[in-house]
Amino acid sequence: MRITVMCFRNLLRRRLRTTLCIFGISLATVFIVAIGATTTHYTQVIRDMNIFFTGKIVAVPEGAMVVQGFPVVGGNIPQNIIEEIKQIEGVEAAVPMLVRFGYQIEAIVQLAPSNITIGVPYGNWSMLVGATPLEPGGNWPSERDEVVLGQSIAAQYGLKVGSTLPVKDMNKTMHILTVSGILDSRSALLLRGIIIPLEMARRLHYENPDVTWKGNMVVVAFESGLKEEEIAERIRAETRGIEALTTDLRNEIVEPLLSDIETWNAGITSVLYALSMVLITLVAMINISERRRDFATLDAIGAPKRTVLRMVVTEILFIGLIGSIIGIVVGSFSAVLFASQYTNIPLSLFLSNIFEIVTPWLIVRVLVSTVAVATLAGLVPALAATRINIAEGLRSEY
Amino acid sequence: MIVETKDLTRLYHLGSSRITAVYKANLKIEEGGIVSIVGPSGSGKTTLLNLIGLNDKPTSGEIFFRDRKTSSIPDKERRKIRLRDMGFIFQTFNLLPTLTALENVELPMALLGIPQETQRTQAVERLKSVGLAERLEHKPRELSNGERQRVAIARALANNPSLILADEPTGELDSETGQEIIDLLLNLSKKETTTVIVATHDERVAKVSQVKLSIKDGEITN
Ligand SMILES: Nc1ncnc2c1ncn2[C@@H]1O[C@H](COP(=O)(O)OP(=O)(O)O)[C@@H](O)[C@H]1O
Ligand SMILES: [Mg+2]
Repeated sequence: MRITVMCFRNLLRRRLRTTLCIFGISLATVFIVAIGATTTHYTQVIRDMNIFFTGKIVAVPEGAMVVQGFPVVGGNIPQNIIEEIKQIEGVEAAVPMLVRFGYQIEAIVQLAPSNITIGVPYGNWSMLVGATPLEPGGNWPSERDEVVLGQSIAAQYGLKVGSTLPVKDMNKTMHILTVSGILDSRSALLLRGIIIPLEMARRLHYENPDVTWKGNMVVVAFESGLKEEEIAERIRAETRGIEALTTDLRNEIVEPLLSDIETWNAGITSVLYALSMVLITLVAMINISERRRDFATLDAIGAPKRTVLRMVVTEILFIGLIGSIIGIVVGSFSAVLFASQYTNIPLSLFLSNIFEIVTPWLIVRVLVSTVAVATLAGLVPALAATRINIAEGLRSEY
Repeated sequence: MIVETKDLTRLYHLGSSRITAVYKANLKIEEGGIVSIVGPSGSGKTTLLNLIGLNDKPTSGEIFFRDRKTSSIPDKERRKIRLRDMGFIFQTFNLLPTLTALENVELPMALLGIPQETQRTQAVERLKSVGLAERLEHKPRELSNGERQRVAIARALANNPSLILADEPTGELDSETGQEIIDLLLNLSKKETTTVIVATHDERVAKVSQVKLSIKDGEITN
């Protein structure tokens, strides 16, 4: 008990040093949490996309840049190709979709590219969203000018079922869309999704809506019992200029990217921990060297070795704990701020879901790691402190 | 016999040179009273006290504490002996700066596992007996040197030790305050069944001691 009191008083006596050290640890922790949460969330968003079209083949124009199921950049697919795919043995359905990242809804506020507009032919909604329901009171579009929105977009612009949404097409002609439903899904992609009938999507995105282009991707369903790879091979062989992506292939495209991000994250985190460790060790060493005589006095009056050990480690642990708690709090808000920036989901929506980005698991991990780092960093100087020769320690000038 | 030394020697090696701090000291110190060790600065007084107080280990020779050979006592037990049976008074007081006078005196009791309540009443008692009833909650830096040394004496007495080792206890004090400390030590050696070994070059301390030893260049000369 008295040992702990002594530790706190010593930390208070060296207020500036303690504050600086806590500040340093917090700073490192802020970055660890912010970067950790941001990358985890970011990779999660991308992995999330993989829930789309599982067990189906996605056909895109050759050379298209695809993130999971969706072409981000690339050409279009004409009607005759879709017909060709439909003719392939084993294929049950070939549903064209028109996907655009970053479509702008004019007259409201400019949306960031993280918005995704997807045109889907009437009645084929489940090809995209699977079993995802709409919020009560909503319907899937039955008219060309009806639209289904993700929760995040709807909340951001205060749109409800029945609200209208003016948009401009490529020829600057205005179209008034009516919200017919809100998706009931927390999928990062569907939250920002704007789902409209393919017909309207074509009108909005193609200067001449009469072109034979049907969209920029085709989702292909096939008879059960057949292998995905087999059907993909047939599509490649029997069409020209089309790449058929199986679920595995779609994963393969994005996995290296994700693992790169994670490697960077791990690298930065390690460096930050190492810096924290250096800082803590340094402060522990200063704390000890200026108290050599105190420790020697404790030794001389017969305090057991663990007293000194406990003092040094307690002080360091306290600094580490306070530093990491401050860092976690500040870092969490920074992470949400970042996430809000790159997904363009308003901060207010994110704050209520802060633990979706800064997961409890991350918090626990950072706390445990910081405590472990602090203990490790404090232990070496602490052990050194117990080895101070009493006679020499008593003679020291401090 | 509370302390006995046989050919007690402590050498320091500084690079290639060898310093003889204590050389072949043979002491027999009986229980009770004040023993003074008088010698000029650098003569080996501190080294000798540290050896007797089990703070240091001799290069050669042997120390017996209550007829027990100390060279074979493991570190943990040496600490126990220091805590229970010995009290140290240093020239520069060596109080813990973050603890109050009261807490400094309670510390050795706390380390011995004495209950909190007992610690408090006994520490107050000790501080009263050295005339510091009014300074219980003061930190060392708020005390005068004389008051600090009184706290240090109260701390040394905390666990009722049978041996008090005082290293130039008046060295940092003006002569008047020094005299007060000498009186306290004298009282102490009378009241309790306590042996006080004082290293000093203060003649007044030497005067009140029952046994006076002289040390020069590490050798006991009488
Ligand atoms: N740790 C040490 N290393 C080297 N020499 C030391 C050390 N401690 C003491 N000495 C030397 O031993 C001698 C005796 O010192 P000390 O016991 O402190 O004398 P005193 O207390 O009588 O002034 C001195 O010459 C001193 O320089
Ligand atoms: Mg000395």
